[in-house]
Amino acid sequence: MSRFTRGLLPLTIANVKSYVRDRGALFWTIAFPVLFVVLFGSLFSGGTTKFTVGWVDQDQSAAATSLRQGFAAVSLLDLKDANQDDALAQMRDGKLDAVIVVPAGLGTALSSTGSTSTPFQLILYTDPSKQSASGTVQQVVAQVVGGINQTLSGKPPELAVQPQTLQTQNLTNAAYFVPSILAMALMQLGVFAAIPLVAQREKQILKRLSATPLARSTLVGSNVFTRLLIAVVQTLIIVGIGAVLFGVSVLQPLAVAALVVLGAVTFVSIGYVIASYARTEDSANTLASVVQFPLMFLSGIFFPIAFMPQWLQPVAAFLPLTYLGDALRQTMVGGAAYAPLYIDVLVLAGWLAVTFLISARYFRWQ
Amino acid sequence: MAVDAQPTDTHLDADGDVIVTEGLTKVFEGRGGPLRAVENLSLRVHRAEIFGLLGPNGAGKTTTVEILEGINKSDSGKVSVLGLDPNRDSTQLKERIGVQLQTAALYPNLTVVELIDVFRSFYKHSLPTSQLISEYGLEERKTGLTKELSGGQRQRLSVALAMVNDPELIFLDEPTTGLDPQARRSLWDRVAALKAEGRTVVMTTHYMEEAEQLCDRVAIMDHGRILELGTVDAVVSGHFKERSVRFATVPAFDDAHLAQLRAVTRVAHETDETVLYTTDVPATIGDLERLGERVGAKNLDVAVKRPTLEDVFLELTGRALRD
Repeated sequence: MSRFTRGLLPLTIANVKSYVRDRGALFWTIAFPVLFVVLFGSLFSGGTTKFTVGWVDQDQSAAATSLRQGFAAVSLLDLKDANQDDALAQMRDGKLDAVIVVPAGLGTALSSTGSTSTPFQLILYTDPSKQSASGTVQQVVAQVVGGINQTLSGKPPELAVQPQTLQTQNLTNAAYFVPSILAMALMQLGVFAAIPLVAQREKQILKRLSATPLARSTLVGSNVFTRLLIAVVQTLIIVGIGAVLFGVSVLQPLAVAALVVLGAVTFVSIGYVIASYARTEDSANTLASVVQFPLMFLSGIFFPIAFMPQWLQPVAAFLPLTYLGDALRQTMVGGAAYAPLYIDVLVLAGWLAVTFLISARYFRWQ
Repeated sequence: MAVDAQPTDTHLDADGDVIVTEGLTKVFEGRGGPLRAVENLSLRVHRAEIFGLLGPNGAGKTTTVEILEGINKSDSGKVSVLGLDPNRDSTQLKERIGVQLQTAALYPNLTVVELIDVFRSFYKHSLPTSQLISEYGLEERKTGLTKELSGGQRQRLSVALAMVNDPELIFLDEPTTGLDPQARRSLWDRVAALKAEGRTVVMTTHYMEEAEQLCDRVAIMDHGRILELGTVDAVVSGHFKERSVRFATVPAFDDAHLAQLRAVTRVAHETDETVLYTTDVPATIGDLERLGERVGAKNLDVAVKRPTLEDVFLELTGRALRD
């Protein structure tokens, strides 16, 4: 029996028992994510969110008709034809989320050969007081128009409009939330992971253990294994609720399992960095909370990153939870990717490597 | 050449002794410059004795013990514990020693049996859990969570945990602090039994009575140094040849008269008592009674005391042991 394995299993079992008998910890790691899934799943159980958009065609050319088909192909949008006055009146009454106006002259502008000095302007009315709706519609319109412009450049002006993939593509809310909440639960489990060790250091349990032949690597190993076991239980519960209550099935179970392990280990390692800089259990708890809230709200957990203000989006691109959530969404429900899966994995592995080195160097045993 | 090379060999002639240190030194980098926690400390602990390490907080007891246990490294000097170098062979050493820490908490949500079993899994060789449970009087609480134990039970459990690997050498850190007199006596019995089993015990304590009752030899430490080392009797009589004769202060006595009584070396006052230090107790008391009759003070309530470790300690460090 090597030095690492001696005591590993009994200590892990003891950790799990201690954990299960601590009702507070149990609530936060098991009940809390479950509440989140049920709550968010139920709140938005209307299935796919659609935006009703008024379509005002003042051009009446073939190009305008193609353009309309392009927009109609976006499943998020429900187009209603109207004249401009009626459309704006309906928007004021709350029946329309936005209005797109195609001014006269589109057909001629597009059929004229040679580059035009100024691009042809579509008019988009959105309601700034409905942020998420207006944000999404703006994104969609920008995406469709961008698609058209790409098609037009250097090519004959043929208006076959291709809607581009969008972050909000075709996911039911439950399908979006289940992987998100799983990612959030793994994050929470991880950032608070080393708090038992800080508490044990504070209460001199670590010192007592250091007077036994138990290896430090065994101590850390059993702590990490304990967290992984809890992560597995959490995953089964969250995925189970998603499947039973909201019909969210898992597309790639093996990939999801691997990502759960990678995500849990990465955030546990981040938790050890937190523990390296905290002297007491209380300060470690505070620090972990300070870390978890921006992660929770800036990583596309509750709403897609595309909905965030422009200036905040680079922050999301830096946060590890962005990539864990994205990777879990891709492999569980096949949602639109924020980044390719291998980038998600690389970013998480990078965070793991850096935080592992920091905590190995700075974690205080006494 | 190289005649004056510093010997890299840390071998010490243990000569059957369980612990030998020579010139042991440990320096911590403190805020106000280096702090010499242990300075040039040399001692020997014999097999199957109970050795007491006494001193106020910050005296260097804890650091010394941690070096001997292999959980802290010394900076210089030689040290041998059970024939091993704790700096180098700490894993081997930890298999053979038992450690009880007064301040260490236990896993609060494990039962007594579970906790003992976890500790047993750390060692190559261990005693049966049931034996430890019965020896330390924990049968009634063996399935109870450790956080629900009384102070005495917790202390017995922490000593039982130090015994799981059947150690030859046991370190006890203020094992009876916070216990009621009955619980303290029962733990003293256990410690005495360890010695009877041929084990060696090194203990720190704040209680002079405990050291006097249990320890074969004591070392008094302060500022990282050993001030006095020997049997309790030797340490006390090395410092105080006199006994003290005490009585409630009589206003009619004056100190000049008292100082002239036979064998009196010094007169002192403590609150409402007069203390005469004497090299001949009967002679002094005889004179004192005659003096009393003369001034009409009868039935003096006289008490004779031999000095204690506490007195030695006070004299050596200027501090009470509990400071």
